[in-house]
Amino acid sequence: MKHNPLRNAFVFLLAFGAVGYGAGLGIDRLVTGDFHFSGAVAAAFALLFSVAAFFFGLYGYRGVTRGLTFQVVGMFAGALFVTLIRALMGLKAFDAFLFSEPAWVFGGLVGAIAFLFGVGVVSDWMKWARGIDTPEHHEDEPGWRKFFGVSLDHKVIGIQYTVTALFLISVGGLFALIFRTELAESQLQFLTENLRLFDQSGPQLYNTLMSLHGMIMIVSILLGIAGIMNYAVPMLIGARDMAFPRLNAFAYWLSVPAIMLLLMSLVLGGFDTGWTGYPPLSARAPVGMQMFFLGVFVAGWSSILGGLNVIATTLRMRAKGMSPFRLPILVWSALAASIIQLTATQLIGLSFQLVMFQRLFDMGFFDPAKGGNPVLFQHLFWFYSHPVVYVFVLPGLGVISELLPVFARKPLFGYRWVALSSLGIATVGSIVWAHHMFASGMNEYLRVPFMYSTMLVAVPTGVKFFSWVATLWGGKIETPTPMLFVLGSIVVFLFGGVTGPPNAMVALNLHLHDTYWVVGHFHDTIFGGFVFPFFAALYYWFPKATGRRMNEFWGKVHFWLMTPSFLVLTFGMMFIGLRGMRRRIVDYDPAQGFDHAQLILTICAFLIAISILIFLINFFRSIKHGEVATGNVWKSRSPEWQVPSPMPAHNYDVPFEVVGEPYDYGLAGSKYIEFAADGAGKKH
Amino acid sequence: MINKQEKTNLLSQGVFIFVCLAVLTLLEFLVAVTFNSLVVLVVVALVKAGLVLYYYMHMSKLNENPDAATDHESYAFKTGTNRAGLWLFLLSDAFVFGGLMAMRLNLLGLTRPDLNQNLGLFVTVVLLVSSFFMNRGETHLHNGNRAGFLKNTMITFILGLAFLLGVVMIEWHAIPSVAEAVLHLFGEPAGRTPLKPSSGVAGAAFFMMTGMHAFHVLTGLIFLAVIWVNGKRGLYDEKQYPVEAAAVYWHFIDVVWIFFYPALYLIGTAI
Repeated sequence: MKHNPLRNAFVFLLAFGAVGYGAGLGIDRLVTGDFHFSGAVAAAFALLFSVAAFFFGLYGYRGVTRGLTFQVVGMFAGALFVTLIRALMGLKAFDAFLFSEPAWVFGGLVGAIAFLFGVGVVSDWMKWARGIDTPEHHEDEPGWRKFFGVSLDHKVIGIQYTVTALFLISVGGLFALIFRTELAESQLQFLTENLRLFDQSGPQLYNTLMSLHGMIMIVSILLGIAGIMNYAVPMLIGARDMAFPRLNAFAYWLSVPAIMLLLMSLVLGGFDTGWTGYPPLSARAPVGMQMFFLGVFVAGWSSILGGLNVIATTLRMRAKGMSPFRLPILVWSALAASIIQLTATQLIGLSFQLVMFQRLFDMGFFDPAKGGNPVLFQHLFWFYSHPVVYVFVLPGLGVISELLPVFARKPLFGYRWVALSSLGIATVGSIVWAHHMFASGMNEYLRVPFMYSTMLVAVPTGVKFFSWVATLWGGKIETPTPMLFVLGSIVVFLFGGVTGPPNAMVALNLHLHDTYWVVGHFHDTIFGGFVFPFFAALYYWFPKATGRRMNEFWGKVHFWLMTPSFLVLTFGMMFIGLRGMRRRIVDYDPAQGFDHAQLILTICAFLIAISILIFLINFFRSIKHGEVATGNVWKSRSPEWQVPSPMPAHNYDVPFEVVGEPYDYGLAGSKYIEFAADGAGKKH
Repeated sequence: MINKQEKTNLLSQGVFIFVCLAVLTLLEFLVAVTFNSLVVLVVVALVKAGLVLYYYMHMSKLNENPDAATDHESYAFKTGTNRAGLWLFLLSDAFVFGGLMAMRLNLLGLTRPDLNQNLGLFVTVVLLVSSFFMNRGETHLHNGNRAGFLKNTMITFILGLAFLLGVVMIEWHAIPSVAEAVLHLFGEPAGRTPLKPSSGVAGAAFFMMTGMHAFHVLTGLIFLAVIWVNGKRGLYDEKQYPVEAAAVYWHFIDVVWIFFYPALYLIGTAI
């Protein structure tokens, strides 16, 4: 091909976006008899067409393009099927957004399944069902194209996860910038009542963007930690690949149709419940609500199966001599996070399913008029949605503990305590969920037990902090970019941590519950526990993946721009929160005097966005133009750095045996691993 | 090679466990229609589940560590990994059913939907008998008797289909005329209005729980069909793990019903 594929992709995006827009507009006109230029139907068609066309231009009709095409066709086929049945049953065939709600839901589900067939991630299983055996490992094509099709290599899948997560972080961040701009000043400036976009008024659009910011960021974090775990865990434990390579690919590719469904929720009328989707409001929000539920459900399966794979890999695939207390600390925390993913995720899927069925079949789970109980939803929902914050942060805390000894050139302090504290956090974190519901009207006798269990989480978390401080103490600290982000995460996570216990106390919680204080606290924990360690991990393992390192200067600019802006942002949030700024609302009273503070918050948000943009440019530029780094860049003892970068397809050509402690930096004569003598036990 | 005595022992163990389960199911039913003690029902369900988990799903195989396990590419090692994966999946799935049970207890407490007791007992027995034949089929394959494996898997499939149709066609009233005729056979009193998804929380809970279970039965039937077709071609004479996996999944569905049956048909008072 002569043309630059990226240019092709954007040309196709625009062209097919326009075609889709026109088609949607025309079909909408046929059904409703009117043109809706900023309506939901035209936007939905434009979205589906343009995304599929973008990948067609970039990559041709295979892999992800074929999957997306199958999804679009499957979605319309499913929707038309239900529409036909409804017409035959004498029910209303078409509705405000072209198809009726059951038709959209069924279409969305069929589309997601069709995607998996289209992308080709189930073809091996289909062959097995017909009794045909397939080889475990395919060779991937060289270059960037392998990332757009099904690959079974855990390193490719890890990078697919990571880049998808970066894309979603950008989308979610963009949504935040939009509503943050509206909040910069009191009164409504551009998200006004007169605005009509995707059949939503300005304030409704604010609600949708605010809700989607939450869920898209959550999915991006799940993908981000999956990226780290997929990339690092098999290398750290000396495995050729994950325990189930096909399931691994399947779990990743589930996330793509899930993202499409989440984006569909924005254009199909949106929804105004926040990311939590509480009924009764979610039982009557527009169709976008259902697409949101469906998208989260599919993404949830991605997370469950990914977690399953990490657990099985850790249990079964470790190198010789890697006893539990010689595991790299990141693997411990990945294991703890995966246990939560495997089990608790089912409950958010179930709670969202119940609301979906309540809407579709008029079932009365959460409808008090039928004897239902809205508080039940909150219990089912938070049974996952509280522990999931430990899924977000545990791998990040593992990255901190993994990287600190490398750059402090000292053994990790209290290895066993740190290892077990991850399991401790996961266990205690699973019995604290109702602290989100102190103001919900649940049974009062539940309050105090949940208050105490919540405060108990501070104990295993405190263990980690003591370990980090003691590891740094007296170390020969070096501060390249990954270490800066590690130090940054410790500071930021500390602020997130100490603002937690006040929320746990019932008496304070009732007053703090619906304020910006909570928003500030939450962003501190997630940036400290996920975003900063995620960046640290990216800077740290980038040379392993590419054989080049990211630009050090721009990495430091990224850090020094992001950290202060972020701290001002969250302190500002907590500050106005304590003074009565409520969360999740599009506007506030000028008399409250928040205008200046809100303006500063908005400026900080934009500074963070600029720093992320710097990171993204640095990231993609360094793949081709970064300084060559094929050796042990960080002088690490970890096994993956003992072989040249980039890592070969099946990791270690010669298996290694664990002969010592993992983090004995600076101890003379200490050894962690030993490669088998030349040729002995060489893997085939 | 397994000797003849061991082969017979394995088969008679299956029969013995089945007899225990059948007696316990009958006990359950009798307790429910006489003095209806929640404690007894819970204990019986736990004992039944324990028997299935240990003897039919042979949970202890998770601890097996064959000598070949050092070679990560060997079939023995991969089977061990696959077992771990399947059990992790079942653990995850158990949380769905656990959530449904929590939902039912929260919404209905010590009341239950007003359902035909005789039909409930009948479909429960059908599923239980299917589990027995599944175990028998798996044991036959293990003993090197392909014909016995195929016959018993076929019986399992038919019984599973009968359970599915019993729930969807008759309990759900998918085809009202058939449902009424069959229910009449089971001694249904005239004039009882059938439960609907929209008729209050009892209907909602009943349809959601049986629906999620029926979906798993359907997937289990698909797996049974796959192992029957491939088994006929002799695919599993050596590498038997797929049959074990399908069997374990099928018994898991039975374990779920061991808890759902009392939850929907037996405990508390009918409303």
